[in-house]
Amino acid sequence: MESVLALGGLVLLRDSVEWEGRSLLKALVKKSALWLIYHDLFRDPLSWSRTGEALPGGPLGALQAMCRRTDPGPFTIALDSLSWLLLHLPCTAVCQALCALSHQHSRPGGSCPAEPVRVLGLLHEELHGPGPLGALSSLAQTEVTLSGALGQASAHILSRRPRQRPAHQTQWFSILPDFSLDLQGGPPLESQPHPDPHTPPVDPTARVTFNLHLSKKEKEAKDSLTLPFQFSSEKQQALLRPRPGQATSHIFYEPDAYDDLDQEDPDDDLDV
Amino acid sequence: MAAVATCGTGAGSTRSIVATTSKNNVTSFQRKGPRASGTDSGCSRLVSIAGTRPSVRNGQLLVSTGLPALDQLLGGGLAVGTVLLIEEDKYNIYSSLLFKYFLAEGIINGHTLLVASAKEDPADILQELPAPLLDDNYKKDLDEDICNHQTPDSNIKMKIAWRYQLLPKMESGPVSSSRFGHYYDASKRMPRELIETSKWHGFFFPEKLSSTLNKEPCSLTHGYRRLLQFIQKVIYEEGFDGSNPQKKQKNILRIGIQNLGSPLWGDDICCTENCDNSHSLTKFLYVLRGLLRTSLSACIITMPTHLIQNRAIIARITNLSDTVVGLESFIGSERETNPLYKDYHGLIHIRQIPRLNNLIYDVSDVKDLAFKLKRKLFTIEIHTQKKFNLCIEEEKNVDYNTS
Repeated sequence: MESVLALGGLVLLRDSVEWEGRSLLKALVKKSALWLIYHDLFRDPLSWSRTGEALPGGPLGALQAMCRRTDPGPFTIALDSLSWLLLHLPCTAVCQALCALSHQHSRPGGSCPAEPVRVLGLLHEELHGPGPLGALSSLAQTEVTLSGALGQASAHILSRRPRQRPAHQTQWFSILPDFSLDLQGGPPLESQPHPDPHTPPVDPTARVTFNLHLSKKEKEAKDSLTLPFQFSSEKQQALLRPRPGQATSHIFYEPDAYDDLDQEDPDDDLDV
Repeated sequence: MAAVATCGTGAGSTRSIVATTSKNNVTSFQRKGPRASGTDSGCSRLVSIAGTRPSVRNGQLLVSTGLPALDQLLGGGLAVGTVLLIEEDKYNIYSSLLFKYFLAEGIINGHTLLVASAKEDPADILQELPAPLLDDNYKKDLDEDICNHQTPDSNIKMKIAWRYQLLPKMESGPVSSSRFGHYYDASKRMPRELIETSKWHGFFFPEKLSSTLNKEPCSLTHGYRRLLQFIQKVIYEEGFDGSNPQKKQKNILRIGIQNLGSPLWGDDICCTENCDNSHSLTKFLYVLRGLLRTSLSACIITMPTHLIQNRAIIARITNLSDTVVGLESFIGSERETNPLYKDYHGLIHIRQIPRLNNLIYDVSDVKDLAFKLKRKLFTIEIHTQKKFNLCIEEEKNVDYNTS
């Protein structure tokens, strides 16, 4: 679970009706003991309670204003929830704003290294179609999908480091009443039989209509078969060995009695 | 002898005769008139631009895509004035690698680059380009790769076709320093000096977005309009469309557009199925192709087509692009554990090849192509031949090796 908080960028928590994610969000918030802003979009989307004034730009403008600070340092913003934003604003605007938030580079004159801004967003999967979900997944650095079995919640974590293969991980956990995270080893004892995890790998030669395998006897018979063009291996090696000074093939010709090689008249058509 | 005698006189008219006879000419005939060397501007032959070559089929000017194997599959290279569309794989790992190979090839050949992105700053993209492979370094890597890869099957000497043992193996690497199509090492970065001496223009959409004031309703999405205006400005000012005839040396403009069609460009084809601006992207491609056809430029576009909800749009986009290559990676799918695909990282589909000044396609015969990213190198191979072990002894590996 530490890897979730280690990377910067957008962390997407996908929950569903059966497995809710708000408690996990609060647990992660509690764990990241750094600069934090928790923005409850259901109760206070325009962030009136924080600043006491109306900021331009709507909810996204309020988000941008929250992130503009003067002191540097790693910074986390938790959004509860992204579904509210997706339902009230066009998806493209939300994606652009999230990308701008998580890639905030502060360059006042010089070039400072990018501050790792972490955006923890809660997304309710069942409220949206595959389009917005896919779009947000492609933006996210880490994606945590909640599911579970037999009353035990599990998180399937997909972390995408830039230019590396994404890594999958499944973690069983439970949230204690004081919002601290209790990681557990594996699934609890289950009464129903789960499918055999060691399915044999698919053998491509299994379902072919002809026999591709050779038995041992057949292999021996094949090896001892004499080839129609009999050629001893010594002669083969002699021919294969490149002769010194000669790389190409040669034609050896011996003229017989009927050949009359005359250099002055090679075609033998002069009437002399 | 006569030539030697006239040497001493030094008359101007005989000087040319002296020059030619001293050059071991077989014939005494000599050609008077302008030499057909091809470097003068008034000559009728094609002026050769660095990094390009004419196609062997119809003389179309081609540039390399950065991967010589992909060049071979596309019929020699990417034609100047066309668009190469790459359908991204799910996690955008390999398509961004192909994108970087294209840009790196531009830098090596001295072409001008134009990089447009809505997600990453173009300067950052250029810092991550792969380093070019020099020949002697490559040979060492290839030898150790072959040693690691040697399977016990390949040690069986050929019993029937034994004369082929002496034939040299198919050349799977750079033969010499090739001027068309270079090889790159994906694990190293291109040296900064090469990037700094190259000429490039960057278009980072979030920066341009912040400087807009009015958003008038327009059928073309705002981001696309700005990008087209930027490309047109660069083409016109730098003279790629021939508008500044006094430019001394013609050059190619390589345009790279990353993640076109994603929501970050302001386009919602990835978000909904019935979108308002469904024609915005197709109009963009149409106008872009018009700009490219009238200038010396080539464009690579990566597009997350797996996110596009409306399949009809994908068909339209394919028709509007010239060359379309799709990448499908095995990460996360059930094919990752399938033994048929265990050596490879994904499949590569050549979806479309253009017919430029031609009536026939230049399609290669093989359709089952797979790619793998080795430690440093990107390889494209035919994946069905290796698996069924039908002909162990005379297995002829058709390798379209890139690096």
